[in-house]
Amino acid sequence: MSKIDIETKAAASGENLGRRRRSNNFTKRDRAVIAGLVGGPTILHVVFVWLPAIATILLSFCQWDGIGGLHDIHWVGFKNYTQIFTLYSDFKIALRNNTLWLLWFGLIATPLGVVLAYYLDKNLKGTKFFQTAFYLPIVLSLAVTGIIWDYIFKVNGFLNIVLGYTNADTAPSWFGDPHKNIWVVLGIASWRHIGYMMLLYLAGMKSVDPSLREAASIDGAGEWYTFRKVIFPSLRPVNIIVVVVTVIEALRAFDLVYIINRGKNGLQVLAVAVYENILGESQRIGWGAALATILFVLCLGPIMIYLYQNFKKVD
Amino acid sequence: MSEIFEDGISRRSVIKGSIAGAGALAVGGAIGGATEANAATRALTVSLGSNQSDPAAVKNDNAWLAAAKAAGFNIKLNRVDHNTFQNQINQYLQGTPDNVFNWFAGYRMQFFASKGLTTSINDVWAKIGSQFTAGYKNASKGLDGKYYFVPTGWYPWAVLYRKSVFAAAGVDASKIITWADFIAACKVFQAKGITPIAFGDKGGWEAMGTFDFINFRTNGFKFHMDLTAGRVKWTDPRVQKTFNNWKSIFPYQSKNALDMNWDDATALLINKKAAMQVMGAFAAGNFKDPADLADLALFPFPQIDPAYGREAVEAPIDGYLLSKSAAKNASASKALAAFIGSTAYASAIAKVSPTALWANSNMPKPTDPFARQQVELVQSCKYIAQFFDRDSRPDFASPIFSNALQKFIAGGDSVAIAKDLQAQWDALPPA
Repeated sequence: MSKIDIETKAAASGENLGRRRRSNNFTKRDRAVIAGLVGGPTILHVVFVWLPAIATILLSFCQWDGIGGLHDIHWVGFKNYTQIFTLYSDFKIALRNNTLWLLWFGLIATPLGVVLAYYLDKNLKGTKFFQTAFYLPIVLSLAVTGIIWDYIFKVNGFLNIVLGYTNADTAPSWFGDPHKNIWVVLGIASWRHIGYMMLLYLAGMKSVDPSLREAASIDGAGEWYTFRKVIFPSLRPVNIIVVVVTVIEALRAFDLVYIINRGKNGLQVLAVAVYENILGESQRIGWGAALATILFVLCLGPIMIYLYQNFKKVD
Repeated sequence: MSEIFEDGISRRSVIKGSIAGAGALAVGGAIGGATEANAATRALTVSLGSNQSDPAAVKNDNAWLAAAKAAGFNIKLNRVDHNTFQNQINQYLQGTPDNVFNWFAGYRMQFFASKGLTTSINDVWAKIGSQFTAGYKNASKGLDGKYYFVPTGWYPWAVLYRKSVFAAAGVDASKIITWADFIAACKVFQAKGITPIAFGDKGGWEAMGTFDFINFRTNGFKFHMDLTAGRVKWTDPRVQKTFNNWKSIFPYQSKNALDMNWDDATALLINKKAAMQVMGAFAAGNFKDPADLADLALFPFPQIDPAYGREAVEAPIDGYLLSKSAAKNASASKALAAFIGSTAYASAIAKVSPTALWANSNMPKPTDPFARQQVELVQSCKYIAQFFDRDSRPDFASPIFSNALQKFIAGGDSVAIAKDLQAQWDALPPA
């Protein structure tokens, strides 16, 4: 979004001004205020984000059943990781499902959102209605989305009743096949994701200077060419956000799967696996922490590379 | 651990019953240990952690709480949603737990006892012991031989069926003794277009009941308990015998088992689309229509190896434990434990739930036919198991074993599954 542009510009110009001002104009009091304003949130951030994150990484090298204090936590090195990669069959399923989720969002759901945004941006008849309709799913939390779609797709649910199956035992099973249920879930997830992407792009397209389009059409560019070479590149700030959101949404996928069957029967995803190992009576804190660390690295990797690449070009 | 899977429906809730029939039982008869507690504990304050959050369970809970209040207890109730209670039990017990809380017999109780998170109650048992049979006494002890648990109620697992469906198909349930009888009956129902065995395992825990039965019918009770405790390896060829026997009834089980919870499967029984279900008797609570409920009956899981007959049954016991915080409020907490163990507790609930089954042997036998069948079933058995997830390690039962069973039901190779189970057992931290 253009907000990022403004911020980077502001930061750049502020730096120049600041260098001159800082030395003479800041009183002790100013400095104390600035220290407080910057330091307070920093301390909160470190205490509530970085310390738990570091503790999680440390715990991922330990074995602990969640009972007792520090002396009950045993250091086991990389054992949790080797066991997760070699023994834990759910991990492979989770990794497969998160990868499918990412690919599906990246290659199908997000492009569909762009297409919708592109057509809605043309102010066709009923644009407002469609805009609202596509955006509506975002208003619901994913947990609610999960409950709604679970009622529709479960074996004695709405869809099967509409299709005329009254016997749950002979009705089509949408969530029952461990190799196919992920696709049903991806369809449901797209229902929400497409609207989200549409909104982000629509906001971006509204801010594209109309003169760019005019210039392109005067130069004789076709619609597709204009989109590809003029509109899309000018949406770069939006693209950054969209890529980051898509990667994070795909990797942190939790709510839908948890509500449908708690990641059982071939539907496991990493976030649910973390939760199931850390919570409840059967706590394997170290194991869960190792899964969380793997998820953290997976999220961090692509996002850092992407952000780094993009902001480097901006400078 | 199974509660975690239950999608909000509590399987552990005391069996709900809507049939009238059993006479109301007067409180104040033989209260045993609680009578002396009465005099000494006027207005004794105890905090109580309750996981009885289902409407029917709340009704039962309130009934005995009123009786306890009348007996002079001032109970500070902390009622938590059933699934939440299960999920947070470790944190709860290590934090500031209530003095007395709902729990289960079996490994899950002994585990907390051995971690020092509960308070032993040998002195309470000195008062209430005479009212319980040896089976309950053993089920209430920790691994150190001390008493920790006060048993209240229980329910058996069996083959539930509808009398009218059996009559219409000309099948006599009392003649289903052996595995061959069972399969023959399944074939009759299948030919009539009725699902022989309603089966749901979406939650992952439900199939453990069927596994337990087939396993101790095939290999004996001792083998089963050794297997759940890890004393026998999953790679033992006898485990394959169990899986193979199970496979022989696959054609008669619900096809959509992995997309149905237990109550979805029970609904098939209620709608007469299925003939039988291997389930806990608590499923009777889902039969809302009294006519349907009167049509419900059970028979013991059929014999597989004649050497073991039908000598074992699953009959999980529910009850109460004292947390470590009870040590600071010992006299009041133990008085409440004695009250819970007495017939005063059970009678108060029996008034509102006449079909519930009691651990206390001084309670009158139920008059409801289905409840009586349950009592007779358990009395006819030499061995009682608690259910896989109460007999085995929680960290094995819930994430590992339930997933393995789902894979098996989906058609997975049982040899590979057993090998994987053993590898995962070996990878668990020492208990």
